[in-house]
Amino acid sequence: MSEQTSGHRTLAVRESSARADAPAAIEARDFNFYYGDFRALEQITMLAPRHQITALIGPSGAGKSTLLRAMNRMHDETPGVSSDGQLLLEGADINGFSDLIDLRKRVGMIFQRPNPFPMSIFDNVAYGLRLKSQGAKKGVIAEQVEQALRGAAIWDEVKDKLQQSGLALSGGQQQRLCIARAIAVEPEVLLMDEPCAALDPIATLKIEELMGELEERYTIVIVTHNLQQAGRVSDQTVFLSMNPETRAGFVVEVGPTQQIFTNPKDDRTLAYISGRFG
Amino acid sequence: MNSDTREILATKDVAWERRIMAARRRATLIDRAMTGVMSLAALFLVIVLSGVIFIILRAGLPAISWTFLTTASSITDPGGGIGPQIWVTMYILVLSLAIVTPIGVGAAIYLSEYARPGPITNAIRFSTEALASVPSVVFGVFGAIVFLTIMNLGFSVLSGSLTLALLNLPLMVRIAEDAIRAVPTAYREASLALGGSRWETIRKAVLPSALPGIITALVLTGGRIIGETAPLILTTGTTISPNAQYSLNPLQTGETLAVHIWVLKIVGVPGLQDAQLVADGSAAVLLLIVLIINVGMAYFTNRLTQRLRGASGAPRAGGSKKG
Repeated sequence: MSEQTSGHRTLAVRESSARADAPAAIEARDFNFYYGDFRALEQITMLAPRHQITALIGPSGAGKSTLLRAMNRMHDETPGVSSDGQLLLEGADINGFSDLIDLRKRVGMIFQRPNPFPMSIFDNVAYGLRLKSQGAKKGVIAEQVEQALRGAAIWDEVKDKLQQSGLALSGGQQQRLCIARAIAVEPEVLLMDEPCAALDPIATLKIEELMGELEERYTIVIVTHNLQQAGRVSDQTVFLSMNPETRAGFVVEVGPTQQIFTNPKDDRTLAYISGRFG
Repeated sequence: MNSDTREILATKDVAWERRIMAARRRATLIDRAMTGVMSLAALFLVIVLSGVIFIILRAGLPAISWTFLTTASSITDPGGGIGPQIWVTMYILVLSLAIVTPIGVGAAIYLSEYARPGPITNAIRFSTEALASVPSVVFGVFGAIVFLTIMNLGFSVLSGSLTLALLNLPLMVRIAEDAIRAVPTAYREASLALGGSRWETIRKAVLPSALPGIITALVLTGGRIIGETAPLILTTGTTISPNAQYSLNPLQTGETLAVHIWVLKIVGVPGLQDAQLVADGSAAVLLLIVLIINVGMAYFTNRLTQRLRGASGAPRAGGSKKG
């Protein structure tokens, strides 16, 4: 860890092992997103390198969640949304996927509030595996559930109570259960929408440690309001802001987290990082 | 705050403060009085309920015996039972629920999950509301025309069940829709994000969570089916053929317990000495059936909720417990 004092705020920035030349798992090129006539995102260009953690930071209204949810087309359920430009998963246009199920199997999502189903811990993790549309074989489900729970660092806590309701767990455990549920279907990318916003500091720390382990197998894109968190966990940072005239979100600066937090190129980034704005 | 108030406050007007204190005392008093009134209303409810149970059971329990519950009724000699009436009541209950549940839950799923706001949805909603307020006897007349005359089903258990299914459809849709809407969006999003199709999401994530509410819809509907008389008199009849007393044939005429009470108490059976006692006994049995169904279903729903949520009263999704 190296530390950088910028303004009055001290941020710990993680020593990144990220290579700058890693191929992009998710890439946006001049991507625009609209709610009806309102342009929520303008000319977004960024990339999330494979097997790295990319943090989307920026003030409220900058479109961080909108961009994240565009990556697995969660917006499809909302009437009146549209987009243009390019948003790519491994080079393939995300909006060009004819099979939404295939896209969402490859791009999993963790939500702000832990949302386990009101069913047993086992059934929660097996949920994705049992979906007919995913064609998992019956005999291997138990094995895959265990693997996923181990992968989410919650196996030891729940192995003796797999048949208990997932809702009886604590908030932090619920969130790790949701991560287990998401990785059970073996996605390539995990989208995390402020995954620790509803958790206490200890549970947050556990999730952050877990993210470091998950990074070896998955590409992670995380939206966070918590700058310290972005500094601690991410390899790459995308700083978004809101255009004061059009109220559209746009990318101010993209770069390795270390550079963004210690030596931002744009004054607006510096202002945000040092807490003078947002 | 207007300027008067500011001035008064600024000068710390004693009279003003006194008025505030008086207003507060008044508020506290009114608060206490209203708490009392509300408690009385709740108490009244309990008294009425226990009164109903006490009076009906006191009048009817003496008539109830194993023979009473299992033998056929008689319109000539005392000592007749209500066995066939119980059978017909349960038969119509099951048949009618079997018809109304899939249609009602299906419509509820459509309205809550698929329907986009617009004139068609509004029309469906309006018809549902309108149908809910149509008197049951009108449904009886309708059933008599459609099922008896046009479809030629005759006075039968089937005609009655279909009529009651129509009668209860709006209630079913309404409660089931509320139950489905109450399922947190988070469950739907979680399922969709895992690659679930829309239907898989509804069937595997939404409906199981809505199940306790849907069961409530079934219980309320069931209660109305058991207690209904007018539409059944017009569609199922008031007699049970002596040679088809426990028949499974849905085209038989039939007489439910509620209709039996109506016949004994209102129409009257001249010459039957124990008509009043049989009617009181039937009412008690009817009440017991409803109570048993309610308590049984409440127990079942409780168990179900416990299994789904961990412990009863456990927090919902969202991690309100600390990690």
